[in-house]
Amino acid sequence: MLGAISVQSQVSFNAKVSKKRLGINERLRIDFEMNENGDNFNPPPFTNFQVVSGPQQSVSRSWVNGVQSFSKTYTYFLTPKTKGKITIGQAEITINGEVYKTTPISVEVTEAVKKPNDPNNIDYVIDGNIHLVAEISKTNPYLNEGITVIYKLYFRNPISVSDVSELESPSYADFWSHLINIPRAEINMRGTYKGEPYNEVVWRKAVLYPQKTGKLVLPPLTLNLSLNVPSNRRDLFGRRILTQAQKMITTGQNTIRVKSLPEKNKPENFSGAVGQFDFDLILDKEALKASESFQAKIKVKGKGNLKLFNLPTISVPNTLEVYEPEHDEQVKITLSGMQGTIEDNYTIVPQFQGKYPIPPVQFSYFDPQTASYKTLTSRDLIVDVFDGPTAGTPRTSSTGTEPKQVITTNENAFRFIKLDTTLSRINQEVFWMSRSFWILLLLPLFLLLTAYLIKLFVFDKTEDASSLKQRRAQQLAKKYLSSAKKEFHDQARFYEALERALHNYLKAKLKIETTELSKSKIESLLTEKKVAQHIAQEFVTVVENCEMARYAPGSSVNIQGDFEKASTLIAQIDRQL
Amino acid sequence: MKQFKTLFKTKRFTLVLLSLLLATTTGVAQASMEPLVEQGNTAYNEGDFQKAISLYEQTLKMGQHSAALYFNLGNSYYRLNKVAESIYYFEKAKQLNPKDEDIQINSAFAQNMTIDAIENLPESQIAQFQKSLFGVFSFSTWSVLTVLLLWVFVGLFLGYLFFKSAQLKRSFFFSAMLVLLVFLTSFFVTFTIDQQDKNTQYAILFSDQIDIWSEPNLQGDLLFTLHEGTKVQLLDKLEEWQKIRIANGSEGWIRNASLRKLERAITK
Repeated sequence: MLGAISVQSQVSFNAKVSKKRLGINERLRIDFEMNENGDNFNPPPFTNFQVVSGPQQSVSRSWVNGVQSFSKTYTYFLTPKTKGKITIGQAEITINGEVYKTTPISVEVTEAVKKPNDPNNIDYVIDGNIHLVAEISKTNPYLNEGITVIYKLYFRNPISVSDVSELESPSYADFWSHLINIPRAEINMRGTYKGEPYNEVVWRKAVLYPQKTGKLVLPPLTLNLSLNVPSNRRDLFGRRILTQAQKMITTGQNTIRVKSLPEKNKPENFSGAVGQFDFDLILDKEALKASESFQAKIKVKGKGNLKLFNLPTISVPNTLEVYEPEHDEQVKITLSGMQGTIEDNYTIVPQFQGKYPIPPVQFSYFDPQTASYKTLTSRDLIVDVFDGPTAGTPRTSSTGTEPKQVITTNENAFRFIKLDTTLSRINQEVFWMSRSFWILLLLPLFLLLTAYLIKLFVFDKTEDASSLKQRRAQQLAKKYLSSAKKEFHDQARFYEALERALHNYLKAKLKIETTELSKSKIESLLTEKKVAQHIAQEFVTVVENCEMARYAPGSSVNIQGDFEKASTLIAQIDRQL
Repeated sequence: MKQFKTLFKTKRFTLVLLSLLLATTTGVAQASMEPLVEQGNTAYNEGDFQKAISLYEQTLKMGQHSAALYFNLGNSYYRLNKVAESIYYFEKAKQLNPKDEDIQINSAFAQNMTIDAIENLPESQIAQFQKSLFGVFSFSTWSVLTVLLLWVFVGLFLGYLFFKSAQLKRSFFFSAMLVLLVFLTSFFVTFTIDQQDKNTQYAILFSDQIDIWSEPNLQGDLLFTLHEGTKVQLLDKLEEWQKIRIANGSEGWIRNASLRKLERAITK
């Protein structure tokens, strides 16, 4: 029975060293361990080492759930004699008649260390067996790309931790941070640290979104630990006495290099969203009456820095009254970052009937996985407002200003097309300033000028020559009469001038020459021209008066009376001719 | 009698010229395009707006247009929810027929679809008066009127020159001077309209969204943002930058914008 179990289980024979790297003034412990009892143990030749103690042999045997386990160990303590790489050769053992060998182990011996790693020194034991580590998921993330930091405490036998308190908590400046609470620290016995088995405790988890580019420093986390460490002293039963020790342990500073988002192909409307998202614009109604309201919902769903960017805004036709959006966030923060939905809910009230296109909204984000920008566009949406507000309802304007349309469309339905099919040419010549325009404009002016010239040179020339003469005579008579007027003071010259004036006048009016002018002739001519008899006689009397005054100076004459008579006569004859 | 003959001749000549003038401005529409518009109208009524648009635009390509055609195009694009195109064609329709109620109402519907609310600058009373005076006739009516007035003036002045009677001469002279004054006003109005038209170039923004900068470079400040369908006045241009002014008087530079110019349209 026992043999059967032995055959079934694999035989193992291993060599283990306490340290693979040690100073020349330190000690090395080497264990040769087997799980079956064997004979003829043959240790390797410890050349370059001096055996301090050993071999010490220990055997342990245990029964667990009816299964027997066995282990036998040979232990040596060694001090190196030389520096450099030393290979410990193979040990041999004969188990059940077969010879097993261990694999050779290389150990590096360095310069003397200040404090030899005396396995009995408490600080040495602590330093070697407890570690605090900040695990960063990504040390070169993009701006706004989520990273996680997990603080883990590693410890192993023979140390046990009795209490932990946090001395210094890192403050994450330049990061948007979220700490994930760990309600109860749990010890994971199967953790590994640098390939060696350790007990692992996750102390804290943080999700960080870098808000700045460049080299960012993560401040250290420092813990104060109360430890139980076995001491050299032993109690009555030979067990080591545990001593309490306080130890400060820190993660040290970690640096993260944050890459800026590429400028190339950066969409104009990019608002800083980094992650993987889905985007949509949803209307709750697509047809409604004016003055009713509808909701437009801008929704972004996915994984990324959801709380750290602004949603794109909706732009709608100006006659729709839009209220400030209601923001709604349903975001869970897990170790993989923010996840969930954010929404902006707009309440919109149309004022007039008509069709209102809701232009597509674009949302751009950066996907760090593919290192590229992506733009999502919502669908084109149309809201149909089919019934205008009741007449007389005053239009309330959100801006408090007059509506820009003179015509309010609520009473006027959209008009049907015009059925008149009369067309005209598009590229009609513009009449204004065209050649025909100028011709038509200048032609009348030219006509006017010609007509004027014709009148001046043709009409006036051919006009009766006598009429011209007549006019001249009239002018002459007037002239002589006026010259006579100047001679009032000299009787002789006055009458001479008056007579000449009368003669001239008659010459002009009756077309006779001076020589022919006798008094009887004058009278007959005047009557011939249908001048009243008495006027003709009077005219002759004035002429006689003139002659008398001229040839008989000194006779009593009335200069003033004769002048007035002459002028009235001329006027009278002129009227009758 | 001779004078009368000349006068009569000039008058007859004026009449001949006038009829000539009217013939040139009226233009003769090509009848062959009208069935295309009718087909477009039918397609619109059946709800096939895309087809209606292609038929209407085909007509435009053939060099024919009318306010009704632009209006129908605007309606079709409105039905397809294309804001910028719709507004563009309603504006074109307004250019040809600024007082039509249908065009104004549907244009307001299209304006409702735009994103930006831009308030017009208040106009001074002088500007309002000017606008109402200029708007009495269309541009081409103004220009024809100007020419007509000059002919009337010349006719009256000839009357003044050739009539003998002092009474007639006087009344001819005064009416001629009055007509001359009206002619000068009309010439000035037409000239001003023409200059305004030449100096102000409008366009409709077709870019979905565009930033307005204070300077034609990216170092300037970002002033505001405009969306498609906004009517802008085009000012200076520098490489790919275009300076614009919007109805509320704000100015700024836009870069690589998609704009469709509203060419000057001469109304009948």
